[in-house]
Amino acid sequence: MGEQISRLMDGELEGAEADAAFRELKGPEGVASWECYHVIGDALRRCGEPTPGFSARFAARLDAEPTVLAPRPKRAPRLPLVWAAAASVAAVLVVGSVAVSTFDAQPTVIAKAREANAVRTAQARPQPVSPDYLLAHQEYSPTTQIQGVGPYLRSVAAGGPDGRQ
Amino acid sequence: MTCRRDRFGVAWPWFRIALLAAAMLAAAPAARANEAAAWLARTAAAAQQQNYTGTIVYQHGGHVETSRLVHLFENGSEFEKLVNLDGPAREVIRSQGEVRCYYPDAKVVRIEPRTFRNAFPSLSPQQQKALAEFYDFRKAETGRVAGLETQAWVFEPKDGLRYGHKFWADAATGLLVKARIVDDRNEIVEQFAFTDLAIGVKIDRDMVRPTWAVAPPDWRVRQAGPGDVDMKETGWIVTRVPPGFVKIVEGFRQLQGLRQVAHLVFSDGLVAVSVFVEPVGAASHPTGLSKQGGINVYIRQLDESLVTVLGEAPAATVRQIAHSVARR
Repeated sequence: MGEQISRLMDGELEGAEADAAFRELKGPEGVASWECYHVIGDALRRCGEPTPGFSARFAARLDAEPTVLAPRPKRAPRLPLVWAAAASVAAVLVVGSVAVSTFDAQPTVIAKAREANAVRTAQARPQPVSPDYLLAHQEYSPTTQIQGVGPYLRSVAAGGPDGRQ
Repeated sequence: MTCRRDRFGVAWPWFRIALLAAAMLAAAPAARANEAAAWLARTAAAAQQQNYTGTIVYQHGGHVETSRLVHLFENGSEFEKLVNLDGPAREVIRSQGEVRCYYPDAKVVRIEPRTFRNAFPSLSPQQQKALAEFYDFRKAETGRVAGLETQAWVFEPKDGLRYGHKFWADAATGLLVKARIVDDRNEIVEQFAFTDLAIGVKIDRDMVRPTWAVAPPDWRVRQAGPGDVDMKETGWIVTRVPPGFVKIVEGFRQLQGLRQVAHLVFSDGLVAVSVFVEPVGAASHPTGLSKQGGINVYIRQLDESLVTVLGEAPAATVRQIAHSVARR
């Protein structure tokens, strides 16, 4: 029962469940639970201690004024789950299409961002480095040694060092 | 304490069993290190001792180039010839003592003496340790490559400072048929692959002779001085060596043009990164990051010196080393 009241406080109950919880509130145990959860909530929100005897006074007022509870607003009929799913998909599509059109509208910004990112992630440009260094280095690498002469292609590849450096 | 008695009636307290298990587990990486190092040595031996010829494709950064390769091992000496088939004619002749690169379009021949005349210098204990700690070495699939039955092997890096490597070796001889370097997104950085390969065939000495005379008269010959095997202090250090890399060589080299260059080499057992430091000359040098196939290069100026770092490692690793070069 305490759990139902807690859920009522959080606005999780509707329809027949809510009616049942409201009926429980009228009993002393229900009020105690209500008070308890509110104290907890207030403590969490640091609203301060309720004054002693508060719940007794509150219960008396409840009895005195049967309409103290605000009329429950007429709840809209709940949409079936399928509709809710469709609505969320549609929302994503709308957001997505806005994002895409923004994307296309500023190609230079995107291109610059990509370029900057490429530099940041150290995408090196292929560029000939003097074969001196390559040739001096290659012998010491185990991966070169197990392949024979093949890796020396790096030093003579087209688009690579042309020997002039 | 519960004790288990073996067939000889010797008591085996549980903690002794636990210690033994722990010792065996601790020995496992060392065993794997030896396995990886042994595989490297066997593969290098096959590259040196087999006679073979074939067509090799070099693939890097969207470029594909094809070359013919011939390798002869005769009377304990090795002779190799590599001729590219695309673009300006280039040739590499590798013999026991040196590597020569011919650039006929530029009329240049570069000669690099070979420091390691043997097939494969055995890895130092530190390199073997690095190999086990920083790579996961395992057998992969079998399959047919270039018409040969092959066994694939993988060196998977345990951190982002290294590339991944996959090798396909001929099942019969252990000779490499394909070698691939991949980055952390499993994209191919570089690949050498034979498309056809004949192993154990008769190779004539003529097949490994260079196309041009040893030193064509109107060509420039660029001869480098021999490399170092021992450690000699150069006055330069790398303050932040990436984990897993150990220094294996340090000394001065004479690169072409009679430049004295400090050369330090760091290796993790599988790849190497070289650091070259020399006085900055009059000519302006491009600095920053570049690449040549699977080799990343980082150049920076440090006061009056030019630092060039290159190796088969990701750009970040090469850059980190370059930025932590300092005077001793």
